[in-house]
Amino acid sequence: MTAAVLAVSPARPTLVRAVCVREWREALGNKLLVGMTLLPPVVILVAGIAAVAAAAVNPPSDRDVQALYAAAPAVAGLDPKEAVQGFIATYFLILFMLIPTVVPLTMAIYSVIGEKASRTLEPLLATPVGVGDLLFAKSLASTVPSVIVTWAAYGIYLATVISIGSRAAAQAVTAPRWILAIVVLVPLLTLLSVNLGILISTRVNDVRVAQQIGGLVVVPVVGLGIAQVTGRVVLDNGAFLEMTIVLIVLDLAVFWLARVAFQRENILVRWR
Amino acid sequence: MRSVVRTEKLTKRFGALTAVDGIDLEVHEGEVFGFLGPNGAGKTTTLRLLCALIAPTSGTAEIAGFQLGRDDSKIRAAVGILTEQPGLYERQSAWDNLVFYATLYGLPSPVAKAQAERYLRLMGLWERRTEPVVTFSRGMKQKMAIARAALHEPRILFLDEPTTGLDPDAAKTVREFIVALRGEGRTVFLCTHNLDEADRLCDRIAFFRHRVLRIAQPDDLRAELYGRATEIRLVPKPRAEDLVSVQAVPGVREAHLENGSIIVASADPLRTNPLLVRALVDGGAEIAFVTERRAHLEEVYLKIVEPIE
Repeated sequence: MTAAVLAVSPARPTLVRAVCVREWREALGNKLLVGMTLLPPVVILVAGIAAVAAAAVNPPSDRDVQALYAAAPAVAGLDPKEAVQGFIATYFLILFMLIPTVVPLTMAIYSVIGEKASRTLEPLLATPVGVGDLLFAKSLASTVPSVIVTWAAYGIYLATVISIGSRAAAQAVTAPRWILAIVVLVPLLTLLSVNLGILISTRVNDVRVAQQIGGLVVVPVVGLGIAQVTGRVVLDNGAFLEMTIVLIVLDLAVFWLARVAFQRENILVRWR
Repeated sequence: MRSVVRTEKLTKRFGALTAVDGIDLEVHEGEVFGFLGPNGAGKTTTLRLLCALIAPTSGTAEIAGFQLGRDDSKIRAAVGILTEQPGLYERQSAWDNLVFYATLYGLPSPVAKAQAERYLRLMGLWERRTEPVVTFSRGMKQKMAIARAALHEPRILFLDEPTTGLDPDAAKTVREFIVALRGEGRTVFLCTHNLDEADRLCDRIAFFRHRVLRIAQPDDLRAELYGRATEIRLVPKPRAEDLVSVQAVPGVREAHLENGSIIVASADPLRTNPLLVRALVDGGAEIAFVTERRAHLEEVYLKIVEPIE
């Protein structure tokens, strides 16, 4: 007598949880990946805190203060020491936007190229799960740790600046639009980076090549930072709203492209 | 007999290459079906088609009662596949690998764990369940991959070269597992290059090179191509008159001497052999052995598959 077939297509939350747990276990076992995930936030965090602390200890020169008032009229009239700390604290915030572009990219690339290299994709695709669900689960598996790491780094930065920095610095890092930016823009940037990583990984087999191509995603963020430091762009509420809309559109477009590339038959027959 | 795989003119093309060319197959429930062919014949592509991993260019297929192209997810739930490479998560333990796959097959957590335990024990890997798969031998990994394919109790198991690269002990375990599956009424679709294995395990065999060249039971193929031969060994040696008396027996198609034996081909050995023995004994010959002479499946394979080249 034939044994009863037990299998069915799993519920999406069950699938997502299973894929995430498996990928996180795999990632935690890869010291290089853990290091590459933690290094950028640690460097940015330490540099940010050190800069604010240095500004608190060393008073700025008159020349620095004049240049600062010219670049950031918002701080004009404040005590120079306070103003410099506020200025530094604000401009380091933009660097926190780099974390979600760098950190999840590596994880997403390993998540696909690693499976290609170890030939684990075919048995995975032989299960009743849909490839769209699988892609979604893989995206989340790379997105969630990155968002948590960025938020944790921001939380530490916030607490440290409030405790050691000036009133202007504390006001800068607790400005509602920055908190909102970290809460909303970080997940959107992370998703963009992850799906871009997955998309690139469908085409190349070398992790380093994929990272180099994917690394281009930091260019707009770095450009924005430079534009802000040089006073060419003012990141006000309107700018954040525009960035949010652009990122949502980009996220949807890149996820759609990744979904098109992530087809069962493509993966089995064309991916090498 | 109920069919669990039925295809009609199933075709798969990749550009100008026709990997699978209009195959008509019918695989019965509970049988071990051998799928034999040379490298590059399209065996893996056929397997992927039948497991709903890739879509056919044309033709139809019904697998486990589900229509290919319409019920693909249900087909994947109803079948298990052993791919050419074990494809296991090597940094993770044997237990985590199997529980993960059981979850992807939609098994509730307690069932997933029970099935993982059942198959780890069955494959003799229970004691090493917590160890990362990377520490396993090739044979152990292959057993793990078979356990993964069978974990959700599929109606049909597609096995692609299940014993390639295994030591005799591991290969024996795998073969015993296949026999056990047949005993449970499960269908096994076995792709193999190992003709001896196919001969021992398969109820029917398909010779394949882009299209099905022949399907039959191994013994019928042998009989059809070589007749049913009987080897009679005499002591000390067959004499010329022994051969003459054998050739005179009704039903004998052909008889000749070979290495101290008389080789006799007949349409119905069950009827002819007692007559042969009587004729030889009456003629004063001393018979040492009477055995069925089986052509090796390799000879059959070479005769059917090779001439196409």
